Amino acid sequence: MGRYHYIFPKWSNLLLPMMILGGAIAPLYVVMVVAYGFSPLTTDVGFQPQQPVPFSHKLHAGDMGIDCRYCHNTVEFTNHAAIPPTQTCMNCHTQIQKDSSQIEPLLNSYITGMPMQWQRVHDLPDFVYFSHSAHVNRGVSCVSCHGRIDRMEIVTQMKTLSMGWCLECHRAPEQHLRDPDLVTQLGWGIDRSLEQMIEDGSFWRQQNNLNPSQDCSTCHR
Amino acid sequence: MTKWFVSISLLLVCLAMIPPALIARQRAVTFTKPRIHIIQDMDAQLKFKAQNPNTLFNDGRSMRPPLEGVIARGDLMEDAHFYKGVINDEWATTFPGRMPVTLDLVRRGQERFNIFCQPCHGIAGYGDGIVNLRAMRLMDAPLLGNGTTWVQPKSVHEEAIREQPVGQIFNSITNGVRNMSGYASQVPTEDRWAIVAYVKALQRSQHARETDLHARERAGLGDPIDRRPRSDEGGGE
Ligand code: HEC
Ligand code: HEC
Ligand code: HEC
Ligand code: HEC
Ligand code: HEC
Ligand code: HEC
Repeated sequence: MGRYHYIFPKWSNLLLPMMILGGAIAPLYVVMVVAYGFSPLTTDVGFQPQQPVPFSHKLHAGDMGIDCRYCHNTVEFTNHAAIPPTQTCMNCHTQIQKDSSQIEPLLNSYITGMPMQWQRVHDLPDFVYFSHSAHVNRGVSCVSCHGRIDRMEIVTQMKTLSMGWCLECHRAPEQHLRDPDLVTQLGWGIDRSLEQMIEDGSFWRQQNNLNPSQDCSTCHR
Repeated sequence: MTKWFVSISLLLVCLAMIPPALIARQRAVTFTKPRIHIIQDMDAQLKFKAQNPNTLFNDGRSMRPPLEGVIARGDLMEDAHFYKGVINDEWATTFPGRMPVTLDLVRRGQERFNIFCQPCHGIAGYGDGIVNLRAMRLMDAPLLGNGTTWVQPKSVHEEAIREQPVGQIFNSITNGVRNMSGYASQVPTEDRWAIVAYVKALQRSQHARETDLHARERAGLGDPIDRRPRSDEGGGE
C-alpha cells in the first residue's frame, strides 16, 4: 500500500443517499417554483399601474358614496364598462378644487379635447368574450370580481381573471348572487355568513333562472 | 464530513430559498410595472379595444368622433317632444306619448335620480347632497379649497322650479342650466324622462295636502289639534 493510493473517506458513503434525496426533491422544487411563480396569483394580482391623475375611488365612491354607475355608466347596458370621459369629472371639477395641481391634467384634457391616458388595470386576453351587463343585471356585484374598489386609493387588480376563476363561479355562483338592485353596494352582505349568502343567492338564482354556461363557446366566440 | 462539503450544501439550500421568497414577496405586494406574460398566445391582437391608443391619429382615439353635421342612423331626433321637451317652441307640459307615467317609470326615475342627481341635489332634492357639503367646506377653507367656487345646487322644491313644465326640467337635465352641466351623454333619453317623473313626485311629496289622501286615510289622521302626548307616553314631568 503506497501512500499515493487514494482512499475515499468514510463520510463519502453519505453521498449516495444524499444524491437520491436531492434528485427526488429537485424536480418537486422546480415544479413548485414554476407553478407558484407563473400562477396569475403571482403575476397578475396586485397590478396597480400609475394613473395620470391620482383619482381616488375611496374618496369619490367610498366617502362620498357616488354610485359606480355615475361614472361607469355603460356597465348595465354593454359589455364594456366605460371609463368616464373628462366631461364627467368636469361636472364637478370645473368648480371644485380647480386650481389643484392634481386636477391640472384633467383641465388640460378638457381644454384641448385630448383624452386622458388612463391605464388599463383589468385586461383579459383579446380572445375572451366578456360582458358586464350579463353579470351586473343578473345580480353579480362588482365586488365579486374587483374587490372593495370603494376602499382603494389606487385601483388594484384583486382577482386572477383566469379561466379557472371564471369557471369556479360559473359552476357554483350562489354565494355571489344578490338582488340586482344592490350590485353597486359593495359593502352589502359583509355582516353575513357564507351560509346566509348562499341561501340568499339560491333564491335569486331561482328567481332569475340563472344557469351560467360552461360551454367553451360562451367565452371563446 | 469535510467543511467544504457542508458549506456548499448549505449554500445551495440557501440559494434555493431565494426564488420562493421572491414569489412570496411578489404575491404580497402591489406593483406598477406591466404584468409579465411569457406565453403570449393571442392575448394582444391587432384590433382596437377601448383604451387602446391609435397611433394613426393625433389625439390617439381609435373611435373617431363624427364629423360636424354627420347624423348616425336613428340619431335624427325628429320627435322634439321626446328628445327636447318642446312642443311648438313651448316647453312641453305633458310626457311624450311613448313614456306613459306609471309606477314603474317613477321607480326607475328614483333609482336614476339617486345615482346621477343625489350627490349634488341630495336624496330629497333640497340641494344638500354630500358633494355640496364637501364643496361648501372647501370654500370655507381657502388653503384646502384650491380655487373652489361653488354655486349651491337649486332645491327642486323652490316655487319657481315647482311651477316649471316637465319639458323645461327635462331640458335642464339634458343640456344643463348655468352652473350645472348637461347629463345627455351619461343618461339615456328614456331615463331622463323617468327622472323628470320622479322629480315631479318628489316635489309633490314635499307639498302634499290633506286632500291628496284617500278619504279612508284622512279619517285615520284624527283631529289635527289633538297632538298632546297621551298620558301613557309620559310627558317627562
Ligand atoms: C367619479 C367617477 C367614478 C366613480 C364614482 C367610480 N369610478 Fe371606477 N374609475 C373611474 C376612473 C376615472 C377610472 C380610471 C382610473 C383608475 O383606474 O383609477 C376608474 C377605474 C375603475 C376600475 C379599473 C378599470 C380598469 O382599467 O381595469 C374599476 C374596476 C372600477 N373603476 C370600478 C368602480 C366601482 C366598482 C365603482 C363603484 C363603487 C366605481 N368604479 C366608481 C371613475 C369612477
Ligand atoms: C359628483 C362630483 C365629482 C365628480 C363627478 C368627480 N369629483 Fe373629484 N372631487 C369631488 C369633490 C367634492 C372633491 C373634494 C373632496 C374633499 O376634499 O372634500 C374631489 C376631489 C378630487 C381630487 C383631489 C384633489 C386634491 O387636490 O386633493 C382629485 C384628484 C379628483 N377629485 C379627481 C377626479 C376625477 C379624475 C374625476 C373624474 C373621473 C372626478 N374627480 C370626478 C367631486 C367630484
Ligand atoms: C363577473 C365579473 C365582473 C363583474 C361582476 C364586474 N366586472 Fe368589471 N371587469 C371584469 C373583467 C373580467 C374586466 C376586464 C375586461 C376586459 O379586459 O375586457 C373588467 C373591467 C372593468 C373596467 C375597465 C373597462 C373594461 O370594461 O374593460 C371597469 C371600469 C369595470 N370593470 C367596472 C365594473 C363595475 C363598475 C362593476 C359593477 C357595476 C363591474 N365592473 C362588475 C369583471 C367584472
Ligand atoms: C362571481 C361569479 C362569476 C364570475 C367570476 C364570472 N361569471 Fe360569467 N356569469 C355569471 C352569471 C351568474 C352569469 C349569468 C348566467 C345566466 O344568465 O344564466 C354569467 C354569464 C356569463 C356569460 C353569458 C352572457 C350571455 O350573453 O348570456 C359570459 C359570456 C360570461 N359569463 C363570461 C365570463 C367570463 C369570461 C368570466 C371570467 C373573466 C366570468 N364570466 C366570470 C357569473 C360569473
Ligand atoms: C367562463 C368563461 C370561459 C369558458 C366557459 C371557457 N373559457 Fe377558456 N378562457 C377563459 C379565459 C378568461 C381565459 C384567459 C385566461 C388567461 O388570462 O390566460 C381562457 C383561456 C383559454 C385558453 C388559453 C390558455 C392559455 O393559458 O393561454 C384555452 C386554450 C382555452 N381557454 C380553452 C377553453 C376550452 C377548450 C373551453 C371549453 C371546455 C373553455 N376554454 C371554456 C374563459 C373561459
Ligand atoms: C355636479 C352637481 C349636480 C348634479 C350631479 C346635478 N345638478 Fe342640478 N343643479 C346643480 C347646480 C349647481 C344647479 C344650480 C345652477 C345655477 O343656478 O347656476 C342645479 C340646478 C338644477 C335645477 C334647476 C334649474 C333651473 O331652472 O333653475 C334642476 C331642475 C336640476 N338641477 C335638476 C337636476 C337633476 C334632475 C339632476 C340629475 C340628472 C341634477 N340636477 C344633477 C348641480 C348639479
